[in-house]
Amino acid sequence: MSKDLDAGLLGGRVALITGGAAGIGLGIATAMAREGAAVVLAARRIENGEPAAEALRDAGHRALCVRCDVTSRIDLESAVAATIDGFGHLDCFVHNAVGGSVAPGPIEGMDDGWPGLLATTVRASFDAAQVAHPHLAAAGGSFLLLTSAAGMEGSASLPAYAMVKASQRALAKSLSREWGPAGIRVNCIAPVARTPAMDRAYRANPDLEERLLERTPLRRIGDPTDDIGPVAVFLTSDLARFVTGQTIVADGGGFLGL
Amino acid sequence: MGTRTLVCGAGDLYDELVARLRARGHLVETLGLSSLAARTTAETAVDTAAAALGAVDLLVHVLESPGQPIPLVDLSTDDWVAVCEDPMVGALHLLQACRPHLGPGSRVVHVVPTSAMGGAPGFAATATAAEGIRALNKSAARQWGTDGITTAVVAAAPELLIGPAASSSGGALYGPALGRTGGAEDLAGIIDALASPDAAFTSGSTIVADGGTWMAP
Repeated sequence: MSKDLDAGLLGGRVALITGGAAGIGLGIATAMAREGAAVVLAARRIENGEPAAEALRDAGHRALCVRCDVTSRIDLESAVAATIDGFGHLDCFVHNAVGGSVAPGPIEGMDDGWPGLLATTVRASFDAAQVAHPHLAAAGGSFLLLTSAAGMEGSASLPAYAMVKASQRALAKSLSREWGPAGIRVNCIAPVARTPAMDRAYRANPDLEERLLERTPLRRIGDPTDDIGPVAVFLTSDLARFVTGQTIVADGGGFLGL
Repeated sequence: MGTRTLVCGAGDLYDELVARLRARGHLVETLGLSSLAARTTAETAVDTAAAALGAVDLLVHVLESPGQPIPLVDLSTDDWVAVCEDPMVGALHLLQACRPHLGPGSRVVHVVPTSAMGGAPGFAATATAAEGIRALNKSAARQWGTDGITTAVVAAAPELLIGPAASSSGGALYGPALGRTGGAEDLAGIIDALASPDAAFTSGSTIVADGGTWMAP
């Protein structure tokens, strides 16, 4: 018996997720696939993304992987084209990928990782928005950016990260107002989740986990699939059809300043 | 001795703000935006200005970005870089260059449009840059606070920093409670107050100086 493609909160929808091979991107893709979306994992390294897509297919979901370095507009265009080729349309573009060094350090030493951060977050958001827009307009879809509470409260350790993540929120708000009349919603998630990047941060900063838990009322770090993924499902589903320009902080209550 | 003030920016508001701060007794050196393109040129320019002042008590960076509304989908990459990325990079270079000249009691102020917080249709690039710079200001507050350096953001009406075309970009249901969006003298007064030791226990905060339009949070 064939699977009902319209079942689930995202049945019949098609989502493209950058940085989809691992971490929060894969968690979001998995959660969206479980709710019926066909998902496209845009991954810088196909050798990482393809096994993840295969695992989703093995679980009965519709998934494919495309190679995509988000600092390349051509790659973003190719990823969207592959999505249309594979699944016929694009309803949700999730820009999650972030690259460049996010090593803790002072503003005076921000030069090293800064260009990569700027390219993968700020420029890639601009390029992704332009590339995805016609398809999202046709579908009445949604555009989702991954941001961070660091962008709202500043960061003593990661000033470059805070800067680019803040800027993405203002872009989302601006786009929500530009694209709302066309029925496109634009939102952000500010997550804290256990990811390979978080593990690297823990290794570089041994007391980070304890400090994070101490400020987190729910006393745990989020799971990419089970804690962050459902927020993306909500924001890209009809449940959130009247929600745009917003940021949902999914961090166990650690940041309460919004 | 007047407050030793370094002001960076370009545009009508910037020019008037410099004049108003001077009228209030500040010793002002100015810095053009072109020097911020590279860290080395920023350092050279800031070193020269700081030498003329002796030290920097107050750094004011004005994010003035005049323009007409353009939907993001129609914006060229070059324009995106010029309006969004270059100002962010410039703000970083300016802080890096100024850091050696800042000490206990120094204040860093960024003047941005309120669209940093509310977004701005047609001016997404400016809003994106402004909110990034607002976060940089907060991070500087956190990193430099123990050295006695404080920061603040002054968020002004978009009309002042972007132009008349931005007047309806803020999405506000109401106009300014005070009946006007203000001008350089209004901002100069607030910046002057922020430079006072009496204001030294606020840092990383955003003062909304738009005559009571935004009122959030």
